[in-house]
Order: sequence, then C-alpha cells, then structure tokens
Amino acid sequence: MKRILAVDGLSVRAGDNALLRDVSFALAPGEALTLVGQSGAGKSLLAQAIMGNLPDALQAAGTVEVAGVASAAADHHTRRPLWGRQLGLLPQEPWLALDPTMRILAQVEETYRHVRRDGNAANARQRAREALAGLGLQDKAGHYPHQISGGMAQRVAFAAVYAGGAPILIADEPTKGLDRRMRDEVVTLLREALLEGCALLTVTHDLEVAEALGGRLAVIEQGRIVESGATTTVMQAPQHPYTQALLAAQPRNWPAEPAPASGQPLLTAQGLAKAFGRQRLFAGIDLCVHAGERLALTGPSGCGKTTLGNILLGVLKPDAGRVVSHAARPFAFQKLYQDPVAAFPARQTLRQTFADLCRLHRLDPGAAAPLLAELGLDAALLDRLPGEVSGGELQRIAIARILLLKPQLVFADEPTSRLDAITQKQTMAVLLRALERSGAALVLVTHDDALAERVAGRRLAIDTAY
Amino acid sequence: MNAQTLISFGRSLLPVLLRRGGQALAVGVLVGMLSFLMMRWLPGDFAYRIAAGRYGYDLVSAEAAEAVRRELALDAPWYVALAGWWQQLLAFDLGNSLVIGTPVIDEIRHQLGHTLMLAGAALGLSLLIGLPLGVAAGLRPGGWADRLGLLVSVALRAFPPFLLGLLMVIVFAGADLPAAGHGEAANLFLPALTLALGLAAGSSRIVREAIRNVLASEHYAFAQTKGLPLSLAVWRHALRNMALPVVAYLGVQLVFVIEGVVILETLFAWPGIGHALVHAVFWRDVPMIQGTCLMLALCFVLLNALVDLLCLALDPRHR
Amino acid sequence: MKLTTLHRIGWLLLAAVAVFAAFGPALTGTDPFAQDLRAFLQAPGLAHPLGTDHLGRSMLARLADAAQLSLGLAALSVLSAAIPGTVLGILAAWYGGALEKVLLFISDSVLALPGLLLVLLLATLAPGEFWPLYLGLSLAFWVEYFRVVRASARTLFASPGVEASLLLGFGLGYIVRRHVWPELAPVVRTLASFGLAAAVLAMAALGFVGVGVKPPRPELGVMMTELLPYYQEAPWLIAAPVGLLATTLLALILIQHEEKNA
Repeated sequence: MKRILAVDGLSVRAGDNALLRDVSFALAPGEALTLVGQSGAGKSLLAQAIMGNLPDALQAAGTVEVAGVASAAADHHTRRPLWGRQLGLLPQEPWLALDPTMRILAQVEETYRHVRRDGNAANARQRAREALAGLGLQDKAGHYPHQISGGMAQRVAFAAVYAGGAPILIADEPTKGLDRRMRDEVVTLLREALLEGCALLTVTHDLEVAEALGGRLAVIEQGRIVESGATTTVMQAPQHPYTQALLAAQPRNWPAEPAPASGQPLLTAQGLAKAFGRQRLFAGIDLCVHAGERLALTGPSGCGKTTLGNILLGVLKPDAGRVVSHAARPFAFQKLYQDPVAAFPARQTLRQTFADLCRLHRLDPGAAAPLLAELGLDAALLDRLPGEVSGGELQRIAIARILLLKPQLVFADEPTSRLDAITQKQTMAVLLRALERSGAALVLVTHDDALAERVAGRRLAIDTAY
Repeated sequence: MNAQTLISFGRSLLPVLLRRGGQALAVGVLVGMLSFLMMRWLPGDFAYRIAAGRYGYDLVSAEAAEAVRRELALDAPWYVALAGWWQQLLAFDLGNSLVIGTPVIDEIRHQLGHTLMLAGAALGLSLLIGLPLGVAAGLRPGGWADRLGLLVSVALRAFPPFLLGLLMVIVFAGADLPAAGHGEAANLFLPALTLALGLAAGSSRIVREAIRNVLASEHYAFAQTKGLPLSLAVWRHALRNMALPVVAYLGVQLVFVIEGVVILETLFAWPGIGHALVHAVFWRDVPMIQGTCLMLALCFVLLNALVDLLCLALDPRHR
Repeated sequence: MKLTTLHRIGWLLLAAVAVFAAFGPALTGTDPFAQDLRAFLQAPGLAHPLGTDHLGRSMLARLADAAQLSLGLAALSVLSAAIPGTVLGILAAWYGGALEKVLLFISDSVLALPGLLLVLLLATLAPGEFWPLYLGLSLAFWVEYFRVVRASARTLFASPGVEASLLLGFGLGYIVRRHVWPELAPVVRTLASFGLAAAVLAMAALGFVGVGVKPPRPELGVMMTELLPYYQEAPWLIAAPVGLLATTLLALILIQHEEKNA
C-alpha cells in the first residue's frame, strides 16, 4: 500500500539531552499506529516534531515525508501549509484548545470555510451543524467551551480538525483526563476516521486505547522505540522486558487480592443525598463500612464519588440522611488525595510537616522513620519540599503520614490515577500491604473498573441517574 | 445572537448593576456625611468670612454674619441640621457655593466638560503610546523592545504624573505653553500627555502580558494547527482574548485617572472638577466640596460599571 | 540575573532613604525651621551641604525632616492598613456567611471613592493636621489587603492540603501559619511596597496643591511649592525634594520586581 506519512531517523534534543532518539515508521491510508509509553518518555514531542511546531529550545533531526514530499524535521516552514489540509492534529487537552470566547459552531464552521475551501464554503455553517449533529452535539452548537463537558470538548475538537479533511490524523493523548465512558467515545471516533481512510497516529499512555484501535503498536521507553509490531501480537507475546512490565502493570493483569477479613461496622450511612446548586449528585444512598474491609466507589467523573467520600469523612454535610461513625478514637478516618503535592503544605519541608504532626498528637518524633522504611522510602526524602518529590514517592509519604495516626478507615480518592501504570501498581501494592498490617478499612474512589475489581471486595457504583 | 444568550446576558447584568448601584449609594452617604461634619465643624469666624465674601469686607456686619449662620443652620441642633442636609441632598439640590454664592450645580456643569475632555484625551493618548509599546514587547518577550519598554515603564512609575507634571511646568514655563492665550487645545496637551504617560507605563506592560499569554495559549496553537492562515488565527482567536485583560485593567486605571485629574488640573490650572475640588478644600467651601466630590465619585462608579459591562460583552465566561 | 541586580539596587536605595529619614534629622543637628535671611538661596557648601532655601533655612535639615515625616507616616498607614486588612480577609474567608458579606459590602463602598478623594475630604475636617492624612490613607488602603487576602485565602482554605490538615487534627492557627501565610506573605509584601509608594506620593501631591501638610513644616510637596519660584536661580533646591521622592518611588518599584519574579 502507498504510504502517506513516513518518519525517518527522527530525534529531538534539548541541548545535550536526547528526548527522542532515532524514531522511524511509515503509515498508509486507513492504517493505525499507536505509540505507547510512560509520561516523560518524549512521546508527545513526536506529534510536535511531525507537525513542525516544536518549541524553539528543542532541536530536531531526521526527515518527515508527507504525501510523498520529504522535508527535514527541523524545517518548520515546509509543513506549515499542510496543517489542517494534510496533517490534522487532535489537541491534548481540548478544553484548553478551544477558544473560550467563541461558540463551538463557529469553531467548527471556520475549518470548513477557511481550511477546506472545496467550493462548498457557502454552506460551511450547514456542514458544521451536520458535523456536530453527527457527534450528538446538535443542542450545543450555540454553547461556549466552558459550558460543555471535557468529553464534549474532545468531540468538538475532533469535528473542528476532521472538517479540514486531512488524510493524516495525529492524536496526542486524546483520552487524557477522560473517564472510561468518554474514553470509549473518543476511541469510537478515531476508529470511524480510520474506516474513512485516514491514516491515524495516536500517542497515548493507555494500553487499552491501543488495543481498541488495533493496527500497529510501538512501545517507547526513554525516547526510543523498543518494540513494535501488530498490536495484537505485541499485547499477547511481548518481547521486550519494558513492554512486559507495562502489560503486567495493567490492573486487569494484577494478581487477585485475597479479601481481608472484615469485622464490626465502622461507619453506617443512611439516605444520603447531595446537590450543588441545581445539580443533584446522588440521593438515597445507604452504605455500611466494616472494620478492615475494602470498598470501591466507582462511576463516571462528576457523579459525586469524591463528595460522597467527603460526607462519610465528615468534611461535608449531606443535604439529607445521616452518617454514624463507630470509630474508637478521634482522627481515625483519614484521606489520600489524587494529587499528593496539593495535600501537603507547599512551602515547608516534609520533615517539618511530620514534626508538626508528631508534636500535635504527642507522638514519638522517631515514629516516622520505621514507617517510611516499611513503605520502601528513603528518610532523606523528608528534607525536600513536596513539589520536589516524585508523584509515586510522595503518595507513599502521604500514606506514611496518615499511618502515624493509626487510622481505622482510609478514604483514598483516585490515589494512583495520575501515576503511570508501573508506579500505580507499586503504590497500590504498598498501600494494600500497609492497610493489611494496620487492619484499616479502605474506601477507594476510582473510575477504573479493573482496578476496583482487583482491589476491593465490594463495589458501589454511582451512576448519573440525575 | 439567540434568545438564550440574551437571557443569560441579562441575568449576569443584575449582579453588576446591584454592586455598582450599591457603590453609588454608599459613596453618596459617605460624602454627604463627611460634608455635613465639615459644615458643623467650621470654625466660629467662618460665617463672618462667608458674609464678607458675599458683601465685601467693608459692608459686612454682625447681622449679615448671623444671617449666614441661620441660613446654613449652623445654630440649629445637629439632628435638625442633619435632616435638613439630607432632605436637600435627596432632592439633588447641591446648594450654593459659600465663596462665590452661585449654585454648585452650575459650576459643576461647566467644569465637567473640561474634566471629561482631559480624561478622554489622556486615555486616548495613553492608548496611542501604550498599545504599540506593549505589542512590540509582547511579540518578542526578552527582546530589545521588551527591555526598553520595561525601562521606560519603571522610569515613568518613578516619575508619576504629579512629578512629571511639575517637570513639565518647569521645562515649558519659559515657552509659556500652559499659560492662557494659546487656546484650549494647546493648554490641554501638556496635562493630557502627562497623565497619558503615567497610564501608558502600566497599560503597556499589561498589553505585553496579554499578548504573550495568548500567543503561548493552547487555543491559539490549535487555531493554527487546524489550518487557519496566520492572519485569520490572529483576527479570530487572538485579538479578543488579548483585549480581555486590557479592558479589565482599564477599570484599575480609573482610580489613577481620577486622582491624576485632581492633581494635574490644579498643577496646570485646568478649569475642571479636580481643580475646583482642591480650591474648595483650600477655602473650605463645603457645598462645593460635596458637589465636586460626589460628581467625581459617581463618574468613577459609572465608568467602572461600563468597564464591567464591556467585560461581560467580551467574555462569555463572565456571563 | 538582570532583575536580581535591579532589585538589589532597589533594596539598597530603599535602605539609604530609610536611614536618611530615620537618623538624618538627628545627625544634621540643624533646626529645619531656623531662618537666616542673610543666607538666602545659598549654593551647596560645607555649612549647608544642600544649600539654603529662600528663607535661609538649611535644605539638608529640611529634607531630612520631610523624609522622616513622609516615610514615617506612610509606613504607619501601611501597617495600620495591612494588619487589619489581612486579618479580616482571613477571617472572612474562613467563616464566610454574614461576616464575609458585611465586610465585602463595606470594602466595596470604600472602593467606590478613589483614595485621594477620601484623604482630601478628611483633610478638610482638620486642615494642616497629620491624623486625617494617616486615617484617610489607612482607610483607603486596607481594602486592597482585605480583598486580595480573602480571595487567596478562600482558594487555599478549599485546597486538599488544608482539608488533610483538618482531618489530621490541626486547627485554624496551624493552617494559617503553615498553609496560608507562606503563600500570602509575598503578595502582602508587594501590596505593602505599592502602598508605601502610593502614600508617599499622595502626601506630597496634597502638600503641593496646598491641602495637605501646611508650611512652615517641611514636607516634600510643600517644599516643592515653596521652591518652585526659584527654579531658575537655584535649580538644585527644587531638585532635592523631587529627587528624594523619585528615588523612594524607584526603590519601591525595583523591589516589587523581585517579588513578582520570586
């Protein structure tokens, strides 16, 4: 088959630091290639290097060939006229990529009118309306970007790019920050584009997206392609140790956790309801958490999982219903956060934060050291500020902090969703071992069904019935 | 523009009108109260001075001074006087000047035109100076235009309108530019330029930031990768977004304008409200102080409300 | 790197002006009010390093006295605005409800009157006195601190970090000390340097147009009015208060650049 996009020996450097090394591949119409790697592996630079809009501080080498016309990767001018017409780029975070001051219909219409220019410009508005209707957004044409959800924004961005009619579509982390349902919608859109004959290059950290798109898969580690081949082959029989680790880190491939023995009721809630303004989140929720048990709260984003957890912790008051705690002592219910950096005082060392906590509760100031060692942490990390510690390590430090108070219940709000797969697996294992030793119960909020299934004995799904 | 947009625009109008309306009311109460206090605290010989001002020092008598005291209710109990004061103010009667005896409202009507002319000219000039400086700096942050712009801005803030005006008076006094006889336009130019330079010192940096932020924004990048030509990407996606912080900053600059007007009108003897206010304070002409202060403050609140509305119109996120 | 040099210069200038204001009057040892009509408009010399004014008074002594008055009054009003403004901002953000609404209404009302007008009105109540200047400046300035601190503190109080500290048993005192103040301190410092500049400038402007501090008391603006008629015979005289005011403003601007880029 005739190739439409070919990348040969592409490298990107920041001074002496190689971020992307010697990447080569070719893509034919209707073909999908998915690049998978951890965050920071340089994969997002690939999309920018192909487009030719790398930041000035970075230097590119190698060649990029689009529809038979080759140019140096460093040449920013040759491919500029191809934007939108030959090369379509789906933005990483569409809610930032849409103009906040323009209605979404106009943002799609302008591609038909000013980019496509195929003689049908006169009815650009009509075509934009049809395109939005085709994506189920007919009611939203007159809305502004801040009035629609992240998933809808992704669909609008897709329509705005797709309208240009480019035969090559580059999707840069198209599912970042989206929950499972919205992710599946995006994947469906990309597959439809493939069927229409688009060549699709997707950059993602999500192996499930790669699997759903099919085609070919390339695994990037530290800026280099370490393994590539047909997606199904690579997924079933990974050759490179890194690919193997990546696959093993997928929650569905985790070994099943034995359910710990659960004891007396620790917390009972009846008829909980909550609304923010006119938006009702949930109503009539009854639940009971027993000592030592593991409960997962799942549901799409915006359904009120975090809010429910905060009501159970007593941080928020419900509109209706009540929560009864059977905790043996105060401060026995603790919380882990999605973004651990935000959970610590930002401008003092972690050591100071731990010292403050020990003083407040009259704990032995040396109590933290053995805990940190048990969680596999170097005590020297405490001399840093929260922002200077990696996400995985800081989440473990956060675990150590709450363990100091010997909690009976830990409410973990998406504690690993910002970590890459391998770190997620490691962090979750550390958390579960620690809970096992202390006998504390876990309420885990997650949008990842596989993770919920592996970790929790019991699940409570909150759906957006309202 | 559909009905839904109009409704949401209307709904977002209400908080703005409430807030600014409340401010107008509050400022009326505050200025009224302080003016009343001033009146009550006038020193004893003041009625005599006012009478002298009206009839001339040769003709003034104890009776005339007494008549003035009665007229101003200076000998009535304070609550009676206060009620009378408010009654007058609520009827939009600003009273007569104590010094020249004419109705305050007539004086203000005359002065307001001058002040608006000065403020308008200054704002216009400041845009002429600040916009190009800011654009040049914002297109190449760290470039020579940016560094020069920063230097000029720092220098102008170390020499704000009051000091700059003083220097202008010294420099141009020989050429007697601000003196009478050259017509209004020539007299207007120096104070307007002085105020404009002070305004541009701030606005040029805001324009620079606005441009820098929009050029680095994801939505401007998307407009280009979508395939829009550069000119269209700028026209459709950069300009309005750049204008947002600049318009909002206009509201901040209004304080600067009002304060500048008060000082510069006095310095350059420009017959506006600020000049009249300072003179009234100097002569303790309380009705005049009240009238000019109220007028300046109400203009300030009104202009702020206009800036709010402009922000609402430009930015759908505020609606 | 360039900015670091600049803000170092700013601090140096500010320190020089502050030392001059604090110790100048004592060190010059000359009475700023003492007239000597024989020593009329003298050029700078050994006896009078900055010369003498139209009444033969020592310019150095007068300038030092004026600097002390301006900076002292400015510092005092900034302090009396910053402390209640910050405290009320934190309280409003923490307690919310009616307290916050009332404080917001009051601050909105003060905002409706440009600061200089408020000072002017108060100055009319007691012409020539210092307290209306001080009171007016403090009343006009506290709103800035209140609004900025309230907005930042609201965001901080709603942050996961504060929620975590509350769950761990810490109280408001700890949260303010460890979470809120470290974030607010640079902002409050910047506001304070803006406030100092605005106060020094407002006092000089009012003195200059004749409605602030009254002669014979040396004050920067008053001195400018007095010395303006002699700018041709003795330009160094008017240059002294103008130079001191511009130097003070420049110093305060340069240290703001440090805060912004910190």
